[in-house]
Amino acid sequence: MDKNLSSAGERKVNCAEQQKCFQLLESILDGENIPESDKILKEKLEKCDPCYRYFHLEMAIKELLKTKCCQQITPQDLFENIRKKVQEVK
Amino acid sequence: MSEVQRKKYSDKEKNHIFDQEFMPHIDSMYNFAYRLTFDEDDAKDLVQDTYLKAYRFINSFEQGTNAKAWLFRILKNSFINDYRKKSKQPAKVDYQEVETYYNSDDVDYSGTTDLRVDAVKDMLGDEISNALNSLAVDFRTVIILCDLEGFTYEEMAKILDIPIGTVRSRLHRARNLLKEKLRSYAQNMGYNTDEEE
Repeated sequence: MDKNLSSAGERKVNCAEQQKCFQLLESILDGENIPESDKILKEKLEKCDPCYRYFHLEMAIKELLKTKCCQQITPQDLFENIRKKVQEVK
Repeated sequence: MSEVQRKKYSDKEKNHIFDQEFMPHIDSMYNFAYRLTFDEDDAKDLVQDTYLKAYRFINSFEQGTNAKAWLFRILKNSFINDYRKKSKQPAKVDYQEVETYYNSDDVDYSGTTDLRVDAVKDMLGDEISNALNSLAVDFRTVIILCDLEGFTYEEMAKILDIPIGTVRSRLHRARNLLKEKLRSYAQNMGYNTDEEE
């Protein structure tokens, strides 16, 4: 990544290693086992605006998917039907 | 996940595994099946068939290992081998396009969308659900497995019979497609997606 911060305390506006960074951020967000992930994440989010924006957008979509797309109600008779069919094949 | 027969379980052991390790995943299985078929009856049939196969091949399951991943793999294979063949609905996928799209692990990470976090947070269930449902089945599947069900890349690779690198690239492409759908919803909601925050 480049180090041309526009001023102290601000995030840089361009990420020189965007592909590598975004792939890493996605892996961290997906809970993959990345060594020193907390440290890497903190540094990227503090110092790089594209990384900051990418991470928070991906996280918001992931949370929305998890909360809104898992609500399909399993039909009550499915459990019993499976039980019955399994008894038949025993 | 191997289908090699490992041991012979007694009937009591079989019932124990089925009740304690398989049945607790029925809600996730039904949700997955419904999002593959978009039909309640087909989803029920698919889940029922999966559980029957799981029971029939229970000796190839090693007790205490990842039952959920094992069941999802059976369901995915049943969907491909059985449901798709007998489905009344023709596939809505341009397979040539999809194949060209994900036969390579080379993914473009540069195409960041101008979709904004606040627009995403304002979305109701319908928008995200419709966006997910509109994706081609193979892209939809990786998002379901990863974001809804929390499988690791390694588990997804085993469920889908593809290398981890392909899981990663397919997931990234699926997410880009999903963001494009969400971006058009955001525009319809009145969010100006062309301007920076």
